[in-house]
Amino acid sequence: MIENFAPKLARVLTEYSVPIQRGDLVMINAPIEALPLIEALYEAVLARGGHPVSVPALPSLRDILVRNATDEQLDFLNPLAMTMMEKADVLYSILAPSNTMSGAQVPPERSARLQKAQRPVMETYFKRSFEGSLRWNICAWPTQAAAQQAEMGLLAYSEFIYRACALDQPDPVAHWQAVAERQDRLIAWLAGKERVEVRGPGVDLAFRLDGGRTWINCRGDKNFPDGEIFTCPLEDSVNGTVAFSYPTISGGREVRGISLTFENGRVVRASAEHGEDYLLSQLDLDDGARTLGEFAIGTNKGIQRFTGETLFDEKIGGTIHMALGQSIEEAGGTNKSQIHWDIVHSMRNGGEIWVDGDLFYQNGDFVMEA
Amino acid sequence: MHESFARDLARILTDYSSPVKPGERVTIAGNIETAGPLLEALVEAVLARGGFPNVQAAAMISPDYTPYYELFLREASDEQLDHLDSTIMHWVNESDALFFVKAPANTKALSSVDPARVARYRRTIQPFGETYLSRYAERTLRWTVCAWPTQALAQTAEMSLLDYRDFLYAAYGLDQPDPVAYWEGFREMQDRLVEWLKGKSHVEVRGPGIDLSFEYDGRPWINCDGQLNFPDGEIFTSPVEDSVNGTVAFNYPSVYQGYEVEGVRLRFENGRAVEASAAKNEALLLSQLDVDEGGRTLGEFAIGTNKGVTRYTRNTLLDEKIGGTIHMALGRSYAESHGKNQSAIHWDMVHGMQDGGEIWVEGELFYRAGGFMVK
Repeated sequence: MIENFAPKLARVLTEYSVPIQRGDLVMINAPIEALPLIEALYEAVLARGGHPVSVPALPSLRDILVRNATDEQLDFLNPLAMTMMEKADVLYSILAPSNTMSGAQVPPERSARLQKAQRPVMETYFKRSFEGSLRWNICAWPTQAAAQQAEMGLLAYSEFIYRACALDQPDPVAHWQAVAERQDRLIAWLAGKERVEVRGPGVDLAFRLDGGRTWINCRGDKNFPDGEIFTCPLEDSVNGTVAFSYPTISGGREVRGISLTFENGRVVRASAEHGEDYLLSQLDLDDGARTLGEFAIGTNKGIQRFTGETLFDEKIGGTIHMALGQSIEEAGGTNKSQIHWDIVHSMRNGGEIWVDGDLFYQNGDFVMEA
Repeated sequence: MHESFARDLARILTDYSSPVKPGERVTIAGNIETAGPLLEALVEAVLARGGFPNVQAAAMISPDYTPYYELFLREASDEQLDHLDSTIMHWVNESDALFFVKAPANTKALSSVDPARVARYRRTIQPFGETYLSRYAERTLRWTVCAWPTQALAQTAEMSLLDYRDFLYAAYGLDQPDPVAYWEGFREMQDRLVEWLKGKSHVEVRGPGIDLSFEYDGRPWINCDGQLNFPDGEIFTSPVEDSVNGTVAFNYPSVYQGYEVEGVRLRFENGRAVEASAAKNEALLLSQLDVDEGGRTLGEFAIGTNKGVTRYTRNTLLDEKIGGTIHMALGRSYAESHGKNQSAIHWDMVHGMQDGGEIWVEGELFYRAGGFMVK
């Protein structure tokens, strides 16, 4: 059995992911299930001279709110949440669900109403994050609920996270620094190239990257664990088909066997073996939902299995993922949508990525590195 | 919210399901971390009735009852896996009544453990199961399995814990003005049904997705009234092994060893499932049917009668009791209903009859659309 790895994880989060400076106001946003990591982060932030603040959430309170609140109460915006989002220098969010399906029976209009009421907080988050005045990171702490969703026992799941975070490496901070450098080299090679073709079992897709599109190095600063490089394809340039090898779990709903056909950047045909109605309803949510907002390559070889948690699944070494909907400004994307739905596809069985006619990636490895 | 869920449930369990008498030794097995309130309420109720409560708060008999099952199965040597803990055998031999409180912290806890190790330890503790079943058959021991709401069960049912609590509360009949009187009335209602069925033989089941016939040839129907399982609500029999003919396309999924199998279709010819298919996890279905000679024979035919169980929750203890459904089990049959089929499997599959399903017995309409047509 592995020891309590929260102090080790907290060290990487405060030293490497978001280096804490003296005087930083650091908000730790987490449910009570993450207690060991909340404590360890709190201690690590104090040690680096920051001011840690945490009001751990009780998940049952949200369930009670959703069940019992009047419309007026659903529309209420907690002023404390707003103040924290305006004032914090650093925000750590820890994923540690007590029940991954607790929202499955909630009438969609009630959850939408609740979400809408929180919009000012989210807008402040996006604005301050874009300006650079708010640094943030999303990480995970093992719970029985997440383990059950991954079809694992808690011990097996804890080991899975431990390895995914590279805490099994002799010096995890050095490991993540090396990840950042390696991905920098890949991105330097990709810089200025324009035409991408993705081929292999289940995928035959092409798109363009001109018009100021860049590749972004996801090195463990905003997500932890991490390991991907991504870009935003030119919105009307995507053509071809993909039959995703992995399912997705979104809003407590599993959709699997998703097939998409793109024509000039829009999904013109979509089907799923399970959850097709939900897929189609999401695609018709708004004008931008049928456009590809992101194309990414997962690079974390410490993650080798699907768990149903996107934070991990999209990083699986040897996979690519694509997100429908909202694109990311940082990479030059211009698509707008309420959704940003990541779907993962395995490339290990002969998948290839060609860039401007050169073979860049094959069977889950970067050919350019060989 | 419920003010006294655990106390009310403990009262029915010790008063109705397994009435505890002064001087009885009563073992309560359940995971202290997830079933705490009910364990405490059972101790209180057993004390109040003059019994001697013995709590086994982490018994290594299934992941439902201990937080350490995954740890043990991962780390134990073969020698340790083969070791039968004598204290388990002590209380199964010495108790007058057992309460098993199922409150899993993770319904997939064993999915990541080597199946060979799981099977090896199950063989080790087989004497435990054999002892309580044989002592029950000799009438020297009573046992009752019940459930306590956990996040894991709620997640499996795709519900929040609050909604799941309400669901179980109603399944237990705790929303009735006098739950014990409600269950006593329930017992009498099922006694009358079983009495009516006595001595008859020919059954035809018809309706959406089903067209099946079998004989039970005087074999008894058993009244499942909450003594062994709680919540409860079914009557069942064992069809004559070679008499089953027809088809069924089950409209509920079924969960087997933690895997969901959907859209199961079976065709029986002279008692054997000669055709079988499934829309999801068909390979698991077929491998289990061929696990041994008895895997393709129907071991049980049952009617679920609990109107408080209103939805499917991926938990066989509850799903097979849904009022308005029938279920059939492939594999091993029960001796109490004079079944003769032997198999390593007993796989319950549930079919909804609410949309016009009918059961005819000796040419008389016995059941239609979820309701009984006889007095």
